[in-house]
Amino acid sequence: MPEPALVMRGLIKRYGKDTTVGPVDLTVQPGEFVTLLGPSGCGKTTTLNMIAGFVIPDAGSIHLAGRHVETLPPFCRDLGIVFQDYALFPHRTVAENIGFGLHMRKVKRAVIARRVHEAMQMVRLEGLGERRPMQLSGGQRQRVALARALVIQPSLLLLDEPLSNLDLKLREEMRLEISALQRRLGIATVFVTHDQAEALTMSDRIAVMRGGRIEQLGQAREIYETPATAFVASFIGTTNMIRGTVEPGGVGGRLRVVTAAGSAVVADCGRRDKGGAVMTIRPERLKLAIPGAAPEGANAWPAMVTRVIYLGAHREIQVRLPDGSGAVSYVANEGGAAWDEGEAVCVWFRPEDAWLVREDG
Amino acid sequence: MKRPHVIVLWCVVVLIYAFMLVPILITAAVSFNAAERSYFPPRGFSLHWWAMAVAPQWTAPFLFSLKLAAISAVATAIFGLPLALAMRRPAFRGRGVLQALTIGPLVLPSLVTGIALLQFLTLAGMGDWIGLPALIIGHIIICLPFMVRTLSVSLESIPLNAEVAAASLGAPRWRVLWEVTLPLARSGAGAGMIFAFISSFDDINLALFVARPGEVPLTVQIMQFIEYGFSPTLAALSILSLLVPLALVAVFGKLVGIGNFIYQDHGHA
Repeated sequence: MPEPALVMRGLIKRYGKDTTVGPVDLTVQPGEFVTLLGPSGCGKTTTLNMIAGFVIPDAGSIHLAGRHVETLPPFCRDLGIVFQDYALFPHRTVAENIGFGLHMRKVKRAVIARRVHEAMQMVRLEGLGERRPMQLSGGQRQRVALARALVIQPSLLLLDEPLSNLDLKLREEMRLEISALQRRLGIATVFVTHDQAEALTMSDRIAVMRGGRIEQLGQAREIYETPATAFVASFIGTTNMIRGTVEPGGVGGRLRVVTAAGSAVVADCGRRDKGGAVMTIRPERLKLAIPGAAPEGANAWPAMVTRVIYLGAHREIQVRLPDGSGAVSYVANEGGAAWDEGEAVCVWFRPEDAWLVREDG
Repeated sequence: MKRPHVIVLWCVVVLIYAFMLVPILITAAVSFNAAERSYFPPRGFSLHWWAMAVAPQWTAPFLFSLKLAAISAVATAIFGLPLALAMRRPAFRGRGVLQALTIGPLVLPSLVTGIALLQFLTLAGMGDWIGLPALIIGHIIICLPFMVRTLSVSLESIPLNAEVAAASLGAPRWRVLWEVTLPLARSGAGAGMIFAFISSFDDINLALFVARPGEVPLTVQIMQFIEYGFSPTLAALSILSLLVPLALVAVFGKLVGIGNFIYQDHGHA
């Protein structure tokens, strides 16, 4: 087992009396792409800054490739960082920007020139070496920032919301490009973002953060399909959340949940605690049928279609449940007829399509 | 066919420039008078007054003023830079006080600064500082607010994380200052120095009090001369003292790129 690229243990930073980030525990393996995902103020940027050395933690330890670093100043940590605003040096050319880290490491001029050239090829900036950052487009600036961070061959790459200043089309391109580059170089990467689509596209593992802590850490699929909390379920993708209580009466590894909209049998996902729970059902797992036509063994509730939104690949169908609350179902566009607004239907889902999470405390 | 408001705008612009430039042109014309007194339009043509203007009586104070202005400009930058850097730090406690102290001389007439400086030096037993050292100190005080201001503007235009990025790429603090902060503050320092140079060269209020007899700047010398009446020599001198600093400023501005400072935001990407 090789040395992990990054190990954080019990990392804590306090701001005033009320705000605390941490304790954060996270291990990033060599070559792994880990995303810190969360809304603003969740502590993801503070965590990144602690790794980088711009914020000194109040407690805990950080190891970079086995090296104990939490007391080292930023310039000794040997990291590559890409910032949201690119942070290029406006008074220097693209080549000088990229070569800065090597220049600081007293690498020989000829070697710098060669490695800068390679780095520029890597990010497809050939021939732009003499330009100034001002003369580049947003995407090109981002590539310069990336090349500047990578050319020093850091043990860890930190990406601080690097895509949020780009327009949508470019952002989607850069996602794949950064991802491909990261895999090709096999460089361990910590990526900070509030954009779940970025997180899902690029990450090996995602750490969903909230209130200064990691609420769940896992692969995209685990986070999406088996969220640990109602917050994680709602932050990643769209979901139907139906509050209820776990009642006795479940059999054969099933739990019985009673909600205002009706009762349901759901798969026992290991939450044996009785009482309040939130049932989350992804819209693509919530199906519609004409009343009485739900398959055997599925949970079925009567509902009324309130709105149909055509989205091309699928339709988003909003329905009203018996208790008056709303739910959303995605119906794949398979060419057939769709549901009509005002139509009486039944919504159904199999026990394994629902996922129980604790109510947020 | 131009619209009326464009015509009005042009008239205003022409008038403003006329008010600024015509007196200078008249002065220039007067300096070529062949007559004994200042006539306009000049009577005859001679370089007599120009010859008078470059006599040692005038070149000594002229050179003294240039020396004083150059030293003041550089010294103001040396004092202004740490001030501007300190005021940029959000965690710096004395910021408010320092800001007030730096901006203070701006609202004080330089006459008052001159008197105060003279009194202070006399009372503190530093009478022999009167002359060039006192003039330099006084001009630093007068010019510092502008220097700090122009430097601050430059420093603010540095991309938010550029210094942090430099640190992460392996630059220790002094290296960040040298490689990133200072080069990007250059145009602000340049603008501040040009301003300091001109203010120092033009100053008479403060110089009246703290200049040493026999070693006076041009402004004071002109003032003393004018008590005995006007002569076309002064017209020639005026043109000289307009052109020489202008040329210096133009060359210097070219070197530090002051145009960038005034016209272009080179920061935020």
